[in-house]
Amino acid sequence: MGRIAVTGTASFVGSRLLRRLVEARGGDAVVALDVASPPAALPVRHRAHDLTEPASDQRLLDAFREEDVDTVVHTAFFTNPRRDAAYSHELESIGTLGLLAAAAAAGVGHVLVRSFTFVYGARGQNPNFLTEERPLQPNPSLAWVRDKLEAEQHAAAFARRYPSMKVTVLRFAPLLGPGVRTFYTRILDRRVIPVLMGYDPLVQLLHPDDALAAAEAVLEAAPGGAFNVVPSRPIPLASALHLAGKVPVPVPHPLAYVGADLLWASGLGEAPGALVDYARYLFVADGEKARRELGFTARRSSRDALVAYLGYRHPAAAGRREEVHA
Amino acid sequence: MSPSARVLPMRGRTRAGAPSGGSEEALRDRLRALEEEIARLRGEAQARTGGEGALVALARVLQAGRGAARWENVARLMGAFYFARHSEEVDEFGFDPRFTEAVRPLFEFLYTVWWRVETVGIENVPGDGPGLVVANHSGVLPWDGVMINLAVRHEHPARRECRMLALDMFALLPFLAPLLARTGAVRASQENGERLLRKGELVGVFPEGVKGVGKRYRHRYRLARFGRGGFVRLALRTGAPIVPCAVVGAEEIHPVVAKADWVGRPLGLPYFPITPTFPLLGPLGVVPLPSKWSLDFGDPMPMDVHGPEGADDPILVNRLSEQVRSTVQRMIDGRLARRRSVWFG
Repeated sequence: MGRIAVTGTASFVGSRLLRRLVEARGGDAVVALDVASPPAALPVRHRAHDLTEPASDQRLLDAFREEDVDTVVHTAFFTNPRRDAAYSHELESIGTLGLLAAAAAAGVGHVLVRSFTFVYGARGQNPNFLTEERPLQPNPSLAWVRDKLEAEQHAAAFARRYPSMKVTVLRFAPLLGPGVRTFYTRILDRRVIPVLMGYDPLVQLLHPDDALAAAEAVLEAAPGGAFNVVPSRPIPLASALHLAGKVPVPVPHPLAYVGADLLWASGLGEAPGALVDYARYLFVADGEKARRELGFTARRSSRDALVAYLGYRHPAAAGRREEVHA
Repeated sequence: MSPSARVLPMRGRTRAGAPSGGSEEALRDRLRALEEEIARLRGEAQARTGGEGALVALARVLQAGRGAARWENVARLMGAFYFARHSEEVDEFGFDPRFTEAVRPLFEFLYTVWWRVETVGIENVPGDGPGLVVANHSGVLPWDGVMINLAVRHEHPARRECRMLALDMFALLPFLAPLLARTGAVRASQENGERLLRKGELVGVFPEGVKGVGKRYRHRYRLARFGRGGFVRLALRTGAPIVPCAVVGAEEIHPVVAKADWVGRPLGLPYFPITPTFPLLGPLGVVPLPSKWSLDFGDPMPMDVHGPEGADDPILVNRLSEQVRSTVQRMIDGRLARRRSVWFG
């Protein structure tokens, strides 16, 4: 049996998955591929690799052959919108393309690509539960999601062209839990949070443990195809903010798009205006396929994930109930 | 669901005194079941005192005096008042039992006092398993959906929750959309309807859609086309029986004398109604007129006899759709013939 190669091992999901794989299969069975080296305490093979360099696919092919890799886990994606859109495009879209080409040439049996339920796009016309067959229609002006969509399209194309290589795409709901640091947790760390006046969509928050359990189930079964990985229940946005002890300030939505774009352009905002859609409309995905074909169901609901995050990030706030700050 | 409606599963045997299983394992199981029951009842009791929690929080902040004007305290008060009226967790479509409980007195007032709804044939609604209630749509705002939901909840022995499928114009309207979702309505779409019916829920639809709810007063009680038969395909695929329902009285709550669509279109509304009270009286214009309502539920029409493959037969779908439409129209006409007054029935 060949080795498992993991890209993006410096990322939140990549590093935790790497640790779990090393614990389960031993340090010699896993190869970390990243520009940054994995934690020194973790006994694991490491090859410094940059997915954005020109001959990345050739070097990857050599690496896969030398290390006798038969499974690739691709987690090198940005979890925050970036102002440097060209670099994100090189890493996420072109990097995935090169990785898939190298994996196909090296005869890799299974590639697991990390994706996001953001790729469905938040739309008023969305059904309450998006299944994997639903066409992916994110807002085309949102580069952060467009690059992930392109990575998924490359994955689907390679799965068609190379039937011997299974390509599994896991669309994770937004992660929230101990250790998660993303643009929405930075918004959540503020005391006053703008919300859209008259809108209160259901949101899904996935506990990282559930995300990792799903990835392990996929590595076990190597099913191929796309799967949603979602918490057991969604939560209304307003309830989540009140549970977190925030002061929501309603903003009319035309103002919110312009305001978010202005803040983003001036370097103050966390996300461009097009992401406001995700606080306005539904993008709740259906986890039925993962339950049916992988036997995976999330053990935690969105509320559990939020409470776990609050307990980690604001332990005082999560415990307080009675006393009044004066 | 009041706690008294549920019976402790072990009560009878405990009172008899003799542990039937006899083994330590059985006793431990029963003890665990009782502990879970106690934890659940305690949780419900805490949930009921949510309103008190808000007042206690307010009192504490006021006691703290001038120094209390801090974000933490503002957030705490807002949260306490929010959760006095909202559950911490909702179902997968966003139905919030505590919120529904909080607004129900208003709905009950409308049902019993304002419109004096007379419900006939509620026994035709299935007591369990999936069912599709198909009704005529009228009255500008989706009050008929609220009343059908309440009728099934209050008059049917099974106290079922009828999940109404809401038109896009309501389900996507700012402010109204979250209210509908929290009170159990679901945006109308094939996927949503099928998911609910497959879970064995009772679902209500208005196949006329916008053409029905926004029709003019002079077209009242003349059913519009029943969409493209989507509700029939839904019933055929899931094998759910169709229960026709005739709503009489809702056409008169907001008599639409004219439409000013040039006002509505820039606001994203499919129509802009002009009634004797709206927009003349401003916000007062949304108060519905107190007509006398009746809800007639007809004999259920079994759909499983055609099999799920019938959903792909457009001729069959159209025929069944027309059959349901003419049944509802006949029920309306019968009720109108017996009605002597719009206000007193």
